[in-house]
Amino acid sequence: MERYNLIVVGAGPAGLSAATEAAKNGMSVIVFDENQKPGGQLFKQIHKFFGSKEHKAKIRGFKIGEQLLKEANDSGVKVLLNATVTGMFLNHEVTVNYENAIHHYKADSVIIATGASENMVPFEGWTLPGVIGAGAAQTLMNLHGIKPGKKILMLGSGNVGLVVSYQLMQAGCEVVALVDALPRIGGYGVHAAKVARCGVPFYLSHTIVKAEGKDFVTGVVIGKIDDHFKIIAGTEEHFDVDTICIAVGLSPMSQLLKMSGCKMEDNPKRGGQVPIVDEYGETSVPNLFAAGDVSGIEEASSAMIKGRIAGLRASYKLGFCTDDFTLPKFTEYKNDLQSLREGMFAPKNRGKLIENTEEGIPISMNLLTKGFIADDEIERFPGVTKQKGVHPVIECTQNIPCNPCQDACVKHCITIGQHITSLPIVKNPAPCTGCGMCVASCSGQAIFLLNEDFAHGFATVTLPYEFLPLPVKGEKGIALDRSGKSVCSAEIVEVRASPAFDHTNLLTMKVPLEYSMKARFYKSNKSNEKKNN
Amino acid sequence: MERITEHPILGAPQKGSLVAFTFDGKKLQGYEGEPVAVALKASGVMIHRYTSRFHLPRGIFCAIGRCTDCVMVVDGKPNVRTCVTPLKEGMVVQTQYGCSEKKSW
Repeated sequence: MERYNLIVVGAGPAGLSAATEAAKNGMSVIVFDENQKPGGQLFKQIHKFFGSKEHKAKIRGFKIGEQLLKEANDSGVKVLLNATVTGMFLNHEVTVNYENAIHHYKADSVIIATGASENMVPFEGWTLPGVIGAGAAQTLMNLHGIKPGKKILMLGSGNVGLVVSYQLMQAGCEVVALVDALPRIGGYGVHAAKVARCGVPFYLSHTIVKAEGKDFVTGVVIGKIDDHFKIIAGTEEHFDVDTICIAVGLSPMSQLLKMSGCKMEDNPKRGGQVPIVDEYGETSVPNLFAAGDVSGIEEASSAMIKGRIAGLRASYKLGFCTDDFTLPKFTEYKNDLQSLREGMFAPKNRGKLIENTEEGIPISMNLLTKGFIADDEIERFPGVTKQKGVHPVIECTQNIPCNPCQDACVKHCITIGQHITSLPIVKNPAPCTGCGMCVASCSGQAIFLLNEDFAHGFATVTLPYEFLPLPVKGEKGIALDRSGKSVCSAEIVEVRASPAFDHTNLLTMKVPLEYSMKARFYKSNKSNEKKNN
Repeated sequence: MERITEHPILGAPQKGSLVAFTFDGKKLQGYEGEPVAVALKASGVMIHRYTSRFHLPRGIFCAIGRCTDCVMVVDGKPNVRTCVTPLKEGMVVQTQYGCSEKKSW
């Protein structure tokens, strides 16, 4: 038997954060993970994270994973991979299966951070090869460099469905439709908007009738559903696809907690079977903690803070740190966590229809049902102003906990203020230099630079662009509106790439003046030709 | 299915050296260390196994070793999760029928 002060199960964002926190306080810590590589799902997350600048916002998920891993190694945490915890026993003894043998460990404290697994929805043909989880799609394309499919239908419009749809397009796949049984898009409007402007149609109140194919998926049929989630006859629509991606939520993997005998509850707001925990994540079994998605489905950013809180509490309870050191830190972490749980998509608002922003502005209903803001809705938001010369237009219209744009502007054109969920306000007149830092800093890709005085009868629109091939200056193509519809011809007048933009390239396109508030994406004529051939 | 050669965020995928393996007797190639399932997918293989009772095809589903839909017979051993098993030179990969490499119906 081997002894440690702390055993952590799961080397994802919560587990690594908990382990690092505890090790820094002097605890001997071992982390077990059943996978070959640490980091949980972080290394598949190639998008920039939301949140506050102090807490890794605008950094891409896999970079956060690298930082966490380095921090854990530097603080002396031991991570054992390919190691599956198979048993939880009294007095914090656990059994671990690795190298085809069972090993016995004991600790003073245990933190379970096993994360969550994907939910599934059965339909005719759902077991066919070609029906995959959204997580599988991320694993295949972002870790292993292979396209999950050529033509894909996504089921689920939560943040996972939206983010993975976008990533599929970045990998060079075609997303034919995004389908959700609910009447409203579940994820952030900004994530939906960046998918919609690429031309992906949203089918809300729809579900999959069947997957077609004998040996593997060759097509899919969707249909509209009524209030009782039954398909309305005659509304069926067929798509040729080779892959169906399922993103219908996550469930906590809380089996080890149940096995250890702590009190559990079935709580739909936290995602299913979860342990009953106090504010530090401690269960009804003293010195047994749960951190991250296993104690309630949230984002990776919250999981990291929940991990730190559990790690700190475990060290405090065993006398590894003093009151003076610990108490201010708890307050800091709890405030951080609270700020991430604010806004329109806060756990407390799950399932509720929010009709107005915190500022009292009516929410865009088009954004909630179609994935894009209608032309007659956009101008009521404080990030959208009409000004002379170049200035940012911020199409951020829902209260979400995110504020990197505020610090991105060295001229202080953008204000969010104390409350992290407030909508960004653009100063008018804005002393904008057109540097584009705000455009690249926006994790939701919702900031554009507009110049309606570019030339007589012409405006320029600068937009974030994370696709290949990167258009070149002088190239002519088509401007798409927020719904992905072609609206006018466009000419690329500038292409900017910089390490400071972190792979978000800035395209500046020239469009006829009357389209300056419509044109929000660019499609080159070349990709058209390729498709037609 | 196509491999990604250049990705807008990740650049060119980092891969091991190209190695040979067999799938149901056919010679295929893949990159050493990548999951067997990825090498198969790159060669267009969709069906990993057939279920024992209804003989229905199964392939990659979760890709992280949880669902066991992608299990195959690898080097004579059945029920190997191909999505988390690294490819090695000379591996013998076979479609799994029920729990074995041969049709038993």
